Amino acid sequence: MSEPHNSSQPGKSITVNGVSKIYQSRGGGEVEACRRIDLEIEAGEFVAIVGPSGCGKSTLLYMMAGFSAPTSGRILCGGVPVSGPDIERSMVFQNYALFPWLNVRGNVEFGLENKGVPRDVRTEKVDRHLKLVGLSEFADKHISELSGGMKQRVAIARAFAVEPGVILMDEPFGALDALTRRFLQRELLRIWREQACTVAFVTHSVPESIFLADRIVVMSARPGELKSMIDVDLPHPRDSTSDGFRDLERRIYADLDEELAKTFSAEGLLG
Amino acid sequence: MREGRGLFGHLLPYLYAAAFIVVVWQLVVTLTKPHVSLLPPPYLVAQGFYELVASGKLFVHAGVSLGRVFSAWFLSMLIAVPLGLAMGRSRLIERLADPLIELLRPISPLAWIPLAILWFGIGESGKIFIVFIGTFFPTLLATVAGVKGIEPHLIHAGQVFGCKSQFSLFRRIVLPAALPSIITGLRISFGTGWAAIIAAELVAARSGLGYLIANGMEILRADQVLVGMIAIGILGVAFDAGLRYVGRRLTWEGAA
Ligand SMILES: Nc1ncnc2c1ncn2[C@@H]1O[C@H](COP(=O)(O)OP(=O)(O)O)[C@@H](O)[C@H]1O
Ligand SMILES: [Mg+2]
Repeated sequence: MSEPHNSSQPGKSITVNGVSKIYQSRGGGEVEACRRIDLEIEAGEFVAIVGPSGCGKSTLLYMMAGFSAPTSGRILCGGVPVSGPDIERSMVFQNYALFPWLNVRGNVEFGLENKGVPRDVRTEKVDRHLKLVGLSEFADKHISELSGGMKQRVAIARAFAVEPGVILMDEPFGALDALTRRFLQRELLRIWREQACTVAFVTHSVPESIFLADRIVVMSARPGELKSMIDVDLPHPRDSTSDGFRDLERRIYADLDEELAKTFSAEGLLG
Repeated sequence: MREGRGLFGHLLPYLYAAAFIVVVWQLVVTLTKPHVSLLPPPYLVAQGFYELVASGKLFVHAGVSLGRVFSAWFLSMLIAVPLGLAMGRSRLIERLADPLIELLRPISPLAWIPLAILWFGIGESGKIFIVFIGTFFPTLLATVAGVKGIEPHLIHAGQVFGCKSQFSLFRRIVLPAALPSIITGLRISFGTGWAAIIAAELVAARSGLGYLIANGMEILRADQVLVGMIAIGILGVAFDAGLRYVGRRLTWEGAA
């Protein structure tokens, strides 16, 4: 039986307000990664961000995390300006970024220790989250002993265990095989529903975004601008062979194709 | 996980190498018949070895040399590791320290011996100084490389999961992530320190394995010289293996 979970913290909203990001490259040139992005993610909402590679998706997510500041514009979390990384916005990385010197339990416990959670509460939370991702038996294993899918489940447990207001995910399933990916998508939805927090999920997979998100943000080719915003009103669990799913896929691919055409013609490959 | 080969399994290659050396040595002695004060046969050296062990002199000299190396090695670690961590993380500190280090590094610790004698005489401080020079740079460079090689997402993950201060980031992410490389650096620097102390003792000392060798030369006892050399070799190999073992137990990667 799963314990009645306290959902008193319904997640935090994210406000992206006219955000642009320009990188200074080594040669002295400039790369404009994001241009004037306005985006309002509601508390508890699951938003997917899709776009051609190199369009600035990671850049946008890392600014939300607080790793780098926008060149112009501002980002708020729960109404408060983001000024640096904070445990209230936790993260799942594509390459897992687990701490190899700690075992599975140590990884999940890491953030809780930093939050100053007392030991017995910590143990209870770690156990609960390892159970959520189905890794209770692996608590004492070393990270190097796990498969890619298991590593990402540890990373998901680590991100949820600190009970953050927002979870940022940068192509978390990008390196996994199709079956593992499908399985983890379901698990993610289940955990997210149990622990209402806001999710911003970057992916380059259109079906994945439709399967998971309440809303899909399509970004243009670099410099990444907001191209379109698509609500997904299909009931869960979503059937990728249904008409509604297919219609959305068509719409998003149409938007992306336009952008890809721009990218390739800019590179002189098309007409 | 490496399969345990047992102590004998680990020793076998060394026994083979030792047997090879003894055979060649005996052959050279038999064929060229050198004077015993130049190259004594293996059995005479074995006898000398036994005498020095039995009288306890070998242990005293080895203990003195090891004591010098360990104290200087430890001292240099106390400075090189924190400095390396800082250089690996801060561009400013690296820019300030790097030119100085690059300039001093190519100067062999042996080249410092004359200055060390002038400054410290033949007391302990001069020897500590030489070994310090010999162990400092390998430890420092390995630490810097270890910190710079940290996967950037590990730092990001540390920040996201609540390492608010630089200190907590160092303690919980940077140090453990760089530890395998630091331990390798310490092992290598122990080797350079061991070589440096012998050289320093050859020139200016009244104790230690280096002194034992130098003294053997002065009193024309090649067997004593050889006994000293053999002890240096055995201790060098033993401590390297020991540090390798400690490194494997201490770190997550099984530092090579
Ligand atoms: N630290 C950086 N310095 C310079 N340019 C960068 C940096 N990070 C990303 N970029 C550039 O910004 C653009 C967007 O990158 P990114 O946000 O990683 O795209 P995406 O995640 O959508 O593939 C790319 O052209 C990339 O080369
Ligand atoms: Mg990316």
